[in-house]
Amino acid sequence: MKSKSEIVEVKALPFAAGFNWSTGFQMQRFIQELANRKILGAKCPECGYTYVPPRSRCGKCYTKIGEENLINLSGKGTLVGYTTAYVKLDGQGNFQDLEEPGIIGAIKLENADSTIFMPLEGIKPRDVTEGLKVEVQWREETKGELADIRCFKPT
Amino acid sequence: MGYVKEERPMTIGVEGTWNIGSYHYKGSRLIEEYVKGLKQKKLIGSFCPGCGKVIVPPRNLCGRCHRIMDRRKIVSNMGTITCFIVSPPIEKGKLKVLGMDPVETGLIKEGEVVIPVFVKFDGSDSNTDTILLNADPKAVHIGMRVKVLWVKEPQGALSDFEGVEPV
Amino acid sequence: MRRNVAIIGCGQTKHSSKRRDVNLAEMVSEAVYNALEDAQVSPRDVDAFVVGNMQGFGGIAQPEQWLGDSIGAPGKSVIRIATGGTTGGSVGQGAYYTVASGLHDVAVAVAWEKHSDSKEAGATTGLLHVGLGNFFHAASYGLSLKNLVATSAVGAAAGVAVYQAMFYMYRSGCSIEHFDMVAAKARRNAAKNKYAHLQWPGCTQEDIAKTEMVVYPFRYGHICPASDGASAIVVAEENLARKKARQPAWFKGLAAYSDEENQLQSENFGGVGVLDPSEQKGCWMSATKAYEMAGIKDPKKEIDIAEVYQPFPSQELIFAERLGLFDEGTAWMALEKGETDIDGRMPLDPSGGVNATNAIGSTALQRILECALQIMGKAEEHQVPRKVHNAVAHGWGGVTSYITVTVLGDSPGR
Repeated sequence: MKSKSEIVEVKALPFAAGFNWSTGFQMQRFIQELANRKILGAKCPECGYTYVPPRSRCGKCYTKIGEENLINLSGKGTLVGYTTAYVKLDGQGNFQDLEEPGIIGAIKLENADSTIFMPLEGIKPRDVTEGLKVEVQWREETKGELADIRCFKPT
Repeated sequence: MGYVKEERPMTIGVEGTWNIGSYHYKGSRLIEEYVKGLKQKKLIGSFCPGCGKVIVPPRNLCGRCHRIMDRRKIVSNMGTITCFIVSPPIEKGKLKVLGMDPVETGLIKEGEVVIPVFVKFDGSDSNTDTILLNADPKAVHIGMRVKVLWVKEPQGALSDFEGVEPV
Repeated sequence: MRRNVAIIGCGQTKHSSKRRDVNLAEMVSEAVYNALEDAQVSPRDVDAFVVGNMQGFGGIAQPEQWLGDSIGAPGKSVIRIATGGTTGGSVGQGAYYTVASGLHDVAVAVAWEKHSDSKEAGATTGLLHVGLGNFFHAASYGLSLKNLVATSAVGAAAGVAVYQAMFYMYRSGCSIEHFDMVAAKARRNAAKNKYAHLQWPGCTQEDIAKTEMVVYPFRYGHICPASDGASAIVVAEENLARKKARQPAWFKGLAAYSDEENQLQSENFGGVGVLDPSEQKGCWMSATKAYEMAGIKDPKKEIDIAEVYQPFPSQELIFAERLGLFDEGTAWMALEKGETDIDGRMPLDPSGGVNATNAIGSTALQRILECALQIMGKAEEHQVPRKVHNAVAHGWGGVTSYITVTVLGDSPGR
């Protein structure tokens, strides 16, 4: 018979590794323009595929995409997929029940070819369907941060 | 002349943390055995049935002949320095380790010279890394004889073994 | 039956302590497209990618998934390899296997590091917070913080290398002045390499000797920087290689062996059975095997240049001996005579090496890349003055005991 292990688990260490990832010019413009309530996409000069958030190299045809290829997007789009979350993680490896289920949508903005993933509000999970028309909701004061986009709501 | 300097434009950063502290790391039975030995002021090593090596602290597999080292041997508290390095006097604000200043937190005294050493304890075939205390940095040499410096009342913790000091 | 394989193009980014003008994907793509341009290969012609950086470094768990689009990898075979400091060496060898096996005709190997994305200086975040994660269980057994700080952190930048240097000095009879000489040579050579990080034209032994002591026997001037940067090579099968490159750099022999772990304390806090961490048996084993495959009988005569993995100057001397380029304990005498200079008998690290440029994940691939440049005659200002027939590239990492050795030549050798 094995004796009960006295092995201790280290549950907390006094430090966390901190990072500050540089964004590059395309993404920097995208983040800064959020302050003006604008969403930028990058349109490939060769094949026309439009990425949001923008990037500097086309994954489809390998062409370089520059700052001159940034375009304004309307902030309106279509829901192409979604999921509903009932729990969240508490940061200690445990699940916590959410008071209200949260919907996360894959949204294709008008004139964009890629999708972005954002919370979807103002609609009950049972009413959500693919093809739903949605629109961006900004936070009250936009500062040029990723958190400026609060969520999307049905139009 | 000196180094060639370079200027580059900067773009903004996005911040984040990776909280290593939120992982649950498992301990090991071998350290448990080792610290129980420390409580009795004994250094426990593992013995390789293949090549006869004794490794301190114990490990479960011999690195050379890959046999399971399931036997234990107690080695001497005395040993020989096989390697040493000498730090410059450590000053406040000069060194940051694990996000803290060791002088500010009192781990190292202002102006202290730290001498990390490898010690081969008599009866072992391994290097154990620790620090040399109560010694003149100028007198340290390879082959120097040292003994374990125990805390007054060992608790069964790795810190029972404060370091080594000259014999 | 394995196929003959050659490097037909090389690409790097300029290395510096902060590449904040680009994000990770953009930085890596810079090196890849430079290599493709050099090889005159369209991204469409590439069949496979082998990529890598140090595990956990830069705080991105699966960087290959982010940057795949930026390097032209969608729809193609991608493998990520991470073997610690040796990563680049393993990535380069991985590209060789991909093509030599007949699975693919053209592969790109790319490796990188972006230290400036970490908040703490240098490689501290990577090494202490991510790299040593599995060591932290010792904390629950009352590990003395003072002891931890003193043993592993006083030489934070130097780690196990400082002990290695002490052992080497003791058994070879070399002195700290020889480390000054190696570091000065690395910075001088780097000044001729437009992609290198620490460039100091005309740096002398005395310049280095004036720098502050970090921990005996290492001075500030001895220690490698933490660089941002990436490097890439294009690897192709024989027919394409002959068509695309005037002088391809052929893979002649390669091997990767590991010895017993020999860092300060083993991964599970057990003792370490290797008494002398400068013994580096894994290097000797790798070199022996790689030379055998390359048909090299006397490396002292047949090897023309070596790119040794030397974040610290002592390591250039230790590993040059382990690679069979000098007799045991004599590399420092050859250094004194200038034999290891760019125009010497056995140039070591004409690029400046890791001591001048250290984007960790990429460093060991850079050694292969620099050997290829010397063979192809494309090293520009740091090209060694005589024809290079055979060159050896070395990588060091893992639990300070894992080694890659790659022998390149101006002919396939079989």
